[in-house]
Amino acid sequence: MRRRAEKNKGKVSPALWPMYITTIAFIVLPLLYIVGISFLEKGDYFGVKNVVTIENYHKIFDPMYLSVLWESLKLAIITTVLTFLIGYPFAYCTAKLPVKWRGMVRMLLMTPFWLNSLIRLNGWIILMKANGVINTVLQSMGLIEEPLQLLYNDGAVIIGMVYALAPFMILAIYNSVEKLDWSLVEAARDLGAGPVKAFFTVTLPLSLPGIIAGCVLVFVPCIGLFYVSDLFGGSKTMLLGSLIRNEMLQARNWPFGAALSMLMLIATIGALQLYKKIAKTDSLQGIM
Amino acid sequence: MKKFVRLTAVVLAMVLMCMLLVGCQSEKEAEPLVIFTWSDYLPQEVLDAFTAETGIPVEYTYFTQNEEMLTKLQAANGGTYDLVLASDYIIDIAIKEGLVQKLDKNIITNYQYIGEGFKGQFYDPNDEYTVPFAAGTPLIVYDPAKVDIEVTGYNTWWDPSLENSIVVMDSARVVVGMVLKSMGYSLNESDPAILKQAEEKLMQLKPNILALDYDTPHEKIISGECAMAFMFTPQAYWAVTERPELEVVYPVEGMGYGVDSFFIPSQAPNAEAANKFLQFILEGETAAELAMFTQYMCCVETAYDYLPEEYFNEILYIPAEILGETEIVQDVGPEATAIYDEIWTRFKQ
Repeated sequence: MRRRAEKNKGKVSPALWPMYITTIAFIVLPLLYIVGISFLEKGDYFGVKNVVTIENYHKIFDPMYLSVLWESLKLAIITTVLTFLIGYPFAYCTAKLPVKWRGMVRMLLMTPFWLNSLIRLNGWIILMKANGVINTVLQSMGLIEEPLQLLYNDGAVIIGMVYALAPFMILAIYNSVEKLDWSLVEAARDLGAGPVKAFFTVTLPLSLPGIIAGCVLVFVPCIGLFYVSDLFGGSKTMLLGSLIRNEMLQARNWPFGAALSMLMLIATIGALQLYKKIAKTDSLQGIM
Repeated sequence: MKKFVRLTAVVLAMVLMCMLLVGCQSEKEAEPLVIFTWSDYLPQEVLDAFTAETGIPVEYTYFTQNEEMLTKLQAANGGTYDLVLASDYIIDIAIKEGLVQKLDKNIITNYQYIGEGFKGQFYDPNDEYTVPFAAGTPLIVYDPAKVDIEVTGYNTWWDPSLENSIVVMDSARVVVGMVLKSMGYSLNESDPAILKQAEEKLMQLKPNILALDYDTPHEKIISGECAMAFMFTPQAYWAVTERPELEVVYPVEGMGYGVDSFFIPSQAPNAEAANKFLQFILEGETAAELAMFTQYMCCVETAYDYLPEEYFNEILYIPAEILGETEIVQDVGPEATAIYDEIWTRFKQ
């Protein structure tokens, strides 16, 4: 086996050609195109002029756009922390369930993904709107006089984000807690550690790769999920994702949109590198 | 041998893939008519009736905003789409950019039935390129149960009692335009100094804004989510039909006006079908059916006989003495457009 691997070193098996062709055609070339136009000047109404410039990257440091970045980052951090706080106990308890129940819980976690996320989010709007389910129930119970303003504020956006992304955190942590070697925890207990201390000195550090994987899986899409903010926050806040969409489709400033996309790409690569470093692994298997 | 089998498998897989790609194209029988507009703007019944009459299938594709339409049309270099339905100011740019072809008036003989008032728009003074489809005036709708002050027009929006209770459209040109109107300027102001003032005034509006919504502001006022909203003609009509206690206000500062028109892109693959479709929808009865569906002002005079009396209500047909001079949003050129976009980005923070 090893000899064959050595012999084929440097050669690409024909069976891999389709993969290389599709990767180059659908990922590498479009990416190069975006890198290219991010260094060009915007055309008057559309497209680009053949003038090379770094103005588009310079423009990102305008306070107006920096504050868009900050808003996106803040939302992503809050969402990641909250999904972790909800996700860890959930995943931990699931991993402690008898085997047949574990599959059931995992299945229930995955089922909502059969529906488009926009439809699921619209379900929340039906619950939370002024004449929606929550307000109607509270009013008929006489607990409130006027309907509560549940939608179109920052809290609603965070609920939407946490709802949309929590399953990723749970599944990532679950995978690492389930594989944990429980005899190590038992050893800690035998040596006199209380349950809390055993948890913080053994269980938590051992599940760290899962936590980091979950954080990456939640944090990265957070920056792109602008429609949650549009639906639940009433489009009032511009986030990086909606800024890119605006620049591409409405302002028709493709070069600046491309520069912002590059920024997002670099941030994503940074997050993945951080994952590799903390999880002390070279592969991205934990988050694939 | 093993190698041979593997190679054959790879080649077969590739052939299959190619066949899949080719298969998509060879199935076409009649060349379809590709219409590009907002979703839910044309009723399926009318599209089906056109297919039944001519045998041409209709493919309906959507955009969500005018600017998106223009971007996609430019990316397709005026091709791909056979017929586009969009708003006045964006058609102006499309014509200037050479993305529009002339109509075939030999096919569209019904063009004569279009009301004079809808012809000769600023973007098409000689009626060569466009067929006006729907016209209307954005209006203010409010809930008297939640608003204690007198609502006269745009300037009422800044009243402190309306904190966190107004919905306006998510559109830089419309909202900045209305702020300009409230200050006595034109909707199409391009002077950076005046736009700066408008931005300052717009920023003071922020505490009163509950949400920005282009497509469904009427739903937010029907559900009681907001106290006041600024919306297009049919949305105002639907809101008042659903909740008759809602009040409609004709802003005293002057009203906007808009016309959505059809045009045929310069490189439309099936321009003939597009011309036939335009002829088809300019028939009185079909035009009436479309007007009842969209709830905009109908541009075809022969349709009026088919329209019920309640269609000519005071939201769609605002009496001339109240309407006064209206103003259309027009292209303000690339520099000013960029300022409008920046104002909007800053406003959304």
